[in-house]
Formats: sequence, structure tokens, C-alpha cells
Amino acid sequence: MVMYGGDEVSALVIDIGSSSVRAGYAGDDTPKAVIPSSFGFRRAAKEQEDVLMQGQENGDSASSNGSGQEPRKSAYREVFAGQSGPALWRSKMEVGNPLVDGLIADFEPIPHLIRHAVTSVLQCDPTEHPVLLTEPSWNTPANRERMAEIMFEEFQVPAFYIANTGVLNAFAAGKGSALVIDLGESTASVTPVVDGFVLRKGLAHSALPKLIHNHAKHMLTQKFGVELWPHQLIGSKSPVDPNTKPIYKLRDDRIPAVTQSWREWAENREVDEWVQSVAGTLDQGWNDQAAAARPPKQYEFPTGYNSFFGYERLTIGEQFFHHSPSLIAANPNLPQTIPALIMESLRACDPELRQVLVGNIVLTGGTSLFSGLADRLSNELARHFPHVKIHAPGNPIERRYGGWLGGSILASLGTFHQLWVSREEWQEHGKAIIGQRCK
Amino acid sequence: MATAADLRAIFPGSTRSTVPQKAQASGSTSRRPEGVLRELYSLIGDSVPTLAAQFNKRPPLKQKPHLGVGQRSVSWEWQPFTNEGRADGLRLSHWTKTSAEPAKEYPYAKYNVQSTVYSYTEDEYTRFLDDPGWTKEETDYLFALVKDYSTRWYVVHDRYEFLGGPTRVLDDLKDRYFTVCKKLIRTRPWEGDEASKASLLATMSFDKDRELHRKNYIAGLETRTQDQLFEEEALYTEIRRLEQTERRFRKDRDALLRMISGIESGLPEVVEDDSPFGSGLSAGLSMEPPKKKKKGNMDIDSPVTPNATIALPPAPAPLPFVKRPSHASPQDIANCIVRTEPTLGTPYKATHQGAHLRSYKLPQPKGANGPRVIQAFQELGVSSSRMVMYTRENLAHFEGIYDSVNVLLDIKKAVDKVEQDIRVAKTRLGMAESSELAGPSSVAGDGDLGMDVDEDAEGEADEDGRAQSVMSARSTRSRKQSRRSSISSVDTNTARGTTKRQKKS
Repeated sequence: MVMYGGDEVSALVIDIGSSSVRAGYAGDDTPKAVIPSSFGFRRAAKEQEDVLMQGQENGDSASSNGSGQEPRKSAYREVFAGQSGPALWRSKMEVGNPLVDGLIADFEPIPHLIRHAVTSVLQCDPTEHPVLLTEPSWNTPANRERMAEIMFEEFQVPAFYIANTGVLNAFAAGKGSALVIDLGESTASVTPVVDGFVLRKGLAHSALPKLIHNHAKHMLTQKFGVELWPHQLIGSKSPVDPNTKPIYKLRDDRIPAVTQSWREWAENREVDEWVQSVAGTLDQGWNDQAAAARPPKQYEFPTGYNSFFGYERLTIGEQFFHHSPSLIAANPNLPQTIPALIMESLRACDPELRQVLVGNIVLTGGTSLFSGLADRLSNELARHFPHVKIHAPGNPIERRYGGWLGGSILASLGTFHQLWVSREEWQEHGKAIIGQRCK
Repeated sequence: MATAADLRAIFPGSTRSTVPQKAQASGSTSRRPEGVLRELYSLIGDSVPTLAAQFNKRPPLKQKPHLGVGQRSVSWEWQPFTNEGRADGLRLSHWTKTSAEPAKEYPYAKYNVQSTVYSYTEDEYTRFLDDPGWTKEETDYLFALVKDYSTRWYVVHDRYEFLGGPTRVLDDLKDRYFTVCKKLIRTRPWEGDEASKASLLATMSFDKDRELHRKNYIAGLETRTQDQLFEEEALYTEIRRLEQTERRFRKDRDALLRMISGIESGLPEVVEDDSPFGSGLSAGLSMEPPKKKKKGNMDIDSPVTPNATIALPPAPAPLPFVKRPSHASPQDIANCIVRTEPTLGTPYKATHQGAHLRSYKLPQPKGANGPRVIQAFQELGVSSSRMVMYTRENLAHFEGIYDSVNVLLDIKKAVDKVEQDIRVAKTRLGMAESSELAGPSSVAGDGDLGMDVDEDAEGEADEDGRAQSVMSARSTRSRKQSRRSSISSVDTNTARGTTKRQKKS
């Protein structure tokens, strides 16, 4: 036990990201519970009727996930979290996501999500387990204190710690110092980590994945005229030839009860699925010939419309590395590309550190699994830095849940147990202890 | 008749007797062991081979794995523990082996080490530590940060945000911290000896200007343009190429010298491949395919190897001409028989040579040069495989011719190669000059290296004087050769000059 430095105290690791909430036991190699961060809810009839709603809620415990009683002043009447949360069509259900740019903007649904992950999926009692949470590097002190408050007051955890995803990703790659390139669902960030600490001055992040997503959506709907009806709303369809008008029937019984936010969520999902299965990038920068030489890929949408996507699918990935001048002219504050983020980050670091960081680049995050992205990135970087070394795990689980994995490693180390913020300390010192302990 | 047992019986000390053992052994073997056929047993009788007995025995099995059947299973239990490294009494739980003894200290508690951070009093600050660039508040802030981040300077600098203070670079912070610490150590009473104090002070030494200079240099390295990088790369390649050429020349020269004057050249016979890139003879760099390199190796070694194998023992070779055994009988002389006397001390090979034809002693052209040697013999009108009279003298003569031809061929090869080099270099020179006529010729300036080589070669050729008497043709050849090599070294210099000029353009 002592030999390997591990000492498991059955801590829970919870990693809340834009796309999913990952939860599991420290020491595992994969999170046991992965649920989408998006949740379905029905809106309370009116803000003023809160008091009235309170009574209704108690009787109306139709929440599919058994998420228990609602918070007192809630905009949400029912919350549906988990795999069958937003994905399961319900009449008048809206979809929300508590995260904006990787930060938690709305804390109200967070307990629902955590409770669902821990109580319903992991089926364990949070009061028995120390909890390690993750936060993005640009998290605010107020946010992490609120998070600690939720964990201590609402979940009654015995001990708590909040660690940085950049640091955890570096730990997951087995490095103490690294330049972590984290491409998430909503945010691309470059974090220099030195000796297990984030260098905040070198931190750079942008909403680049959002741009990619919007670009793909725009291309599909405008250029190809694809109707992004989700399969939940399709009654029947018949096979058609590629590039011909789809023949399908919508479920008219559901259409009137579809909310705008759910419709948007479902459309974005369709776009994401298309991006994940079809879009790609070229190894060596944009080249018309090379793009033409790549085989087109066929994709069928839920409506039955299908087509072969040729070089268009490769223009999507180009946005990660290069913005066309016309696009830059049209919108002045475009999110920075990955090379620009890396450059900005390195520029802010000490010249002595740059070599170390460039030699220890860790590529992580779900969007980094974009087809061809890792190769392209290493080619791009090799052009600027002769000694670049990129650590990009081939295992998609490790790539997607790198932050969780690092947390799992950290929380199962014997030497880490001196760092937990215990309940006693929380009660004694209050919020200030979080900032002191979790540097 | 006295047996061994009787003998033993005489000596009372030997209590062990072989007789009962023997009886026992015979008793056990008289029975036909299992696994031996009856017919076979009747043939071999009592003397059953031990092998059969061994087979008969059950072979020793491999160690059976103990699956913990007999042992008591280790029981683990979920036990709460406290971490002495923590200030509070947080009780976490982990799995431990059940044991009667009370829980020891938590094994990881000892890793909660705090680095020693210096602190100072108000009085000390005003007396020793005042610095016009720093206020006391800022110094306090710095020391607090250093304590918080246990002297991880990059992190300290990253988190350093002192309101109202000037922006400071990392080296400012380090400088201030170490200066304060050094002053504190110097002014405070020191318990230990002076050496430990000095060594502690040495760990605190920090030269801000030097650090800044170094960082500027690193930053400068990073901001090199692509052209600068290319030029640097090209220069590096050029230096390596020059080094290799020089090494190659030295090697060639040595090889030639060794080939011509043998052991008298005073050079060690073993060719040490001192170059890290293998043989330097292949004109290119180490990037060349290894096959070619190997070929180059052969080239350089071939003039040496025949020397080593055939002409190496030059000392015994001329012996028959000089020292003829005086007591040789007239019959031996008439039949050209040379009897070698077994000389004491010299461990010649002791194998007896049977009766053989003298023609067996005729050396056969071997090695890479073999076919060409035969061809040369044919051109000279000498048969390479037959001789009218195989006497010792004749064979020695033949061997001499054979060696000469071999050496001649090697030299010719070397000459051809050098001439080829010259041609190539000249064409390159011509191309370079035609490409830019105005460029100043750097040949003269670079000639010194070539001159050196030339002089050396001359000196060595003079030294060869003794050897020249034997084969004057060779030495003249060698002198020519060395001059050629010096010429070609100049040529490579000019080649370097041209590449330089090309780069400038």
C-alpha cells in the first residue's frame, strides 16, 4: 500500500463539464456515472406563484429520477436529469444547461445533477464519502465557495476539495508540469501547469468549439438545406436516394407541445452527431488537392435525408487552426484558434519555462477527438517548436474524462489526504478556508 | 585377500563401512525393477543402469501452487484513521489488514513537510532590511507568498499581485527574497559551524543581472527567424563536414604510410575508428546510408589489411636472405631445402606439417583485389599459379611481387579516387566562380590547413628513407599521393569557401 503511494478512502470524484457530469470513485480508471449536463425541466407557472407552487410540488413528485424535494425558490418545477432526462421527449419540457463558457452560471440545477449522478447512478450516500470536485482554471472564487457550500450544507459531505481541471489533466498524463490543451464542448483552453499549480497569467481560453458547432450548423441548414428534426419527432420515414428530398412524417401529436429550448437542444445534438461522425481535418494545413483526394462520407439524418459530404466536411476542422480573413473581417471578436491560444499562453510564461511546457503538451477533452485534430496539431506545432512533444492518449475514455481521471488519481493518493477541507474546518473557518487550501 | 573393508577395520576411526551398504544395494537391485523388460534384464543382469532407476522413480514434480487452502485468509477491515499531518481531527476510513496491534501513525503523515521560510521582526527590518525599492508591506506579502507556495518561484511570481506596487519580474522577487534571507542569516547568531553557514549562504546566492542576461539569451534563442535557423543549421553541418574531412585525410595519410613502410612508419597498426560517425572516408555526412559508409570503410581498410596479413611479419621474411644456416648440408643446398631450426623461446605453431608439395606454398591472390592481381600478373606475363621451381627464395620473390602488385593496385585505386575528387571539386569551383565572378577568392586564405597537411606528408615521406631503398617506386608514389591529398584538401577548402559565398548571396 505504502509502496505505491495510494491509500483509498473511497472518495468520490465529480467533474462537471459543459457536456456531461462525470462521477465515480477515486481510484477507478473510468467514471461510473456519466450523465449529460443538460437537464429537462418544466417551468414553474409564474414567478409570483412560488408560494403556491410549493404545495403543488410536494404532491407532484413526478420527477422521473427521484431527485427529491425541490429547492424552495425555484424556477424549475420538475427537473429531469440523467441519460433519460432531456433525451426523453416530454410534453412542454424545456432543456437547460447550468454551464456557460465552462463556468457554472446557474447553481440551482447543480444539486439535482449531482444527486442524480451520486444517488441514482452510483447509488451511494454522499454523507459517507469525501468529495473531490473539479473547476476550470478561470473559475471565480465566489463560484468555488458556492460549490463548497452546496457540498457541505446540502450533501453533508465529510470532506471536500476542489481541484483544477488543468492540473488534473496534467496528473492524468503523469506530469507535474505540462501545457494542457483542453478542448471541451463549449470552451477551448490552454493552461500552463507548473509543479501542480496553474500559472494564471498564462491561461488562455476561447469559445472556439461553439464557433465550430455554429459553423457546422450553418453549413448544414443553409448550404445543404438539411431539416434537423430529431428522431423523437419523426413518426415515419421511408428510404430515399442520396441528395433527394426526404420522405417522412412528423409526429403531429408531439409537435405542439415542443418547447423552443428542447428543439434547439435536439437540433444541436443532431449537428454534433454529424460533426463527430463526418467532419474532419487535414493533416498538413488546407490544400485543395488533398481535400479533394479524401473520400466523401455518407451520413443520414433522422428525416431520412442522406448525402455524401466531400471537402465541406474538412472545412469544419480548418476553423480550429485558421480563420479565413473574410470571417475575421465580418466578426471582430472571433474566438481565438488553437495555435493563437497556445502562442498567447506561452508568451505570458517565463522564457525558461517555454521549453519545458512545449515538451510536455497534454491534449485532452472530448472535442480533441475530432477526426484528424491531434495529427494536425502536432504538425502545426512542430513547425514552430522543434522539440514539441504531445501527449494525446489514444484511449477515447482517457481523452474525454482526463480531468476526472486526474482527480481519481489525486484523491486516491495517501499524501493527498492532508489537503481535504474537512467539515470541522468548514464550520470553523467558513468560506475562506476553500481559497486557502485549494490553491 | 585383504579388501578395503579390512583396511578400514584396522583403523578404528572409520566407523562407516561400505560393506552393508553394498549388500543393501545389491539386494535392492537383484529384484527386477519396474519398467525394465525381462529379456533386457537378463542381459544386463544386476548392473541396471541408473537411468532406468531414475525413470522408475517418480520424477520430482513442480512445486504445487499453494492456493491458500491450508492458510488462514487475510482479513481486511474498514477502519477509520486520523492523519497526524492534519491540524484537525478528520477521520477518514480505509481498508487495513486486521491486526491486534493498535493503529500506528498514518504512514503518509510524514510527507506533510513545510519548507523553512524565514521571517523577520519589525526591528530587524528597520535595521538591516530596508530597501528603497521595497516597502515593508510588499516584503511581507512576498514572504507570505513564498511560504504559501513553498518557494515555487514560477507560481509565486504568477500569483504575485501587490496592489499599488510596481510590476516586478520573477528575478526581482528572487533577488529581494534571497537578499533578505542572506542578511538575516549573517546578522543573527549562528549555532552551527562556519562551514555550514557558508554552505547555506551559498545556496542563497543569486545574481540577478546574470539571470536576466541568461533569460534574455533564452528569449533571443526563441526569437530566431527561420533564415537564422537555417543558417545556423548550415554552419553546423559545414563544421561537421570539415571535421570529418580532416579526420579522413589524417586517416588516409596514416593508412598510406603504414602501407608503404609497414611497421617502420611508427604508427600503430590497429586502425582505431575514432570518428563518432564511423569512417569519415565517405565524403558525405552521417546522414548517408550505412551501406555506403561500409563501402567507404572497406576502401580505407583495404590498403592496410594486406599489409597486416601478408607483409606484416617483415622481420622473418628477409631472414632467409641474410641468415642462411651455415651448417646446411650440400645436399640440402642442391635441393633447395631449408631446414628451420626450432628456436627456443619463440612459440611458433607446434603443429607438425606433413609431407607436402612445395607448390602448396604458392600464395593465392585473395581478398577484394584477388581477380585484379591475377589480371595484373597476366599483363606482366607471369603465371600466378605455376612456378618452375618452388624454392624458398623463389616463393619469397613471388610473394614480394604479389605484395607489390597488391600495393600498386591499392595506390592506383586511391589515386583514381583522389583524381575524381579533384575533378568534382574543380567543376564545383568552376560553377561557383561562374555563378558569381565578383566574389573574393577565399582559397588563399584557407590554404594554411592544406599546407600543414602537405608538410606533414613531406616529413613522413623523408622519414621513409629507409624503406625507400626496398621499393623506391612506392615511396615516390606515396610522395605524389601525399601531395595529391594535400591538393585535394585545398580543394575542399575552396569548396567550403564556395558554399560560404553561396550562403552569403
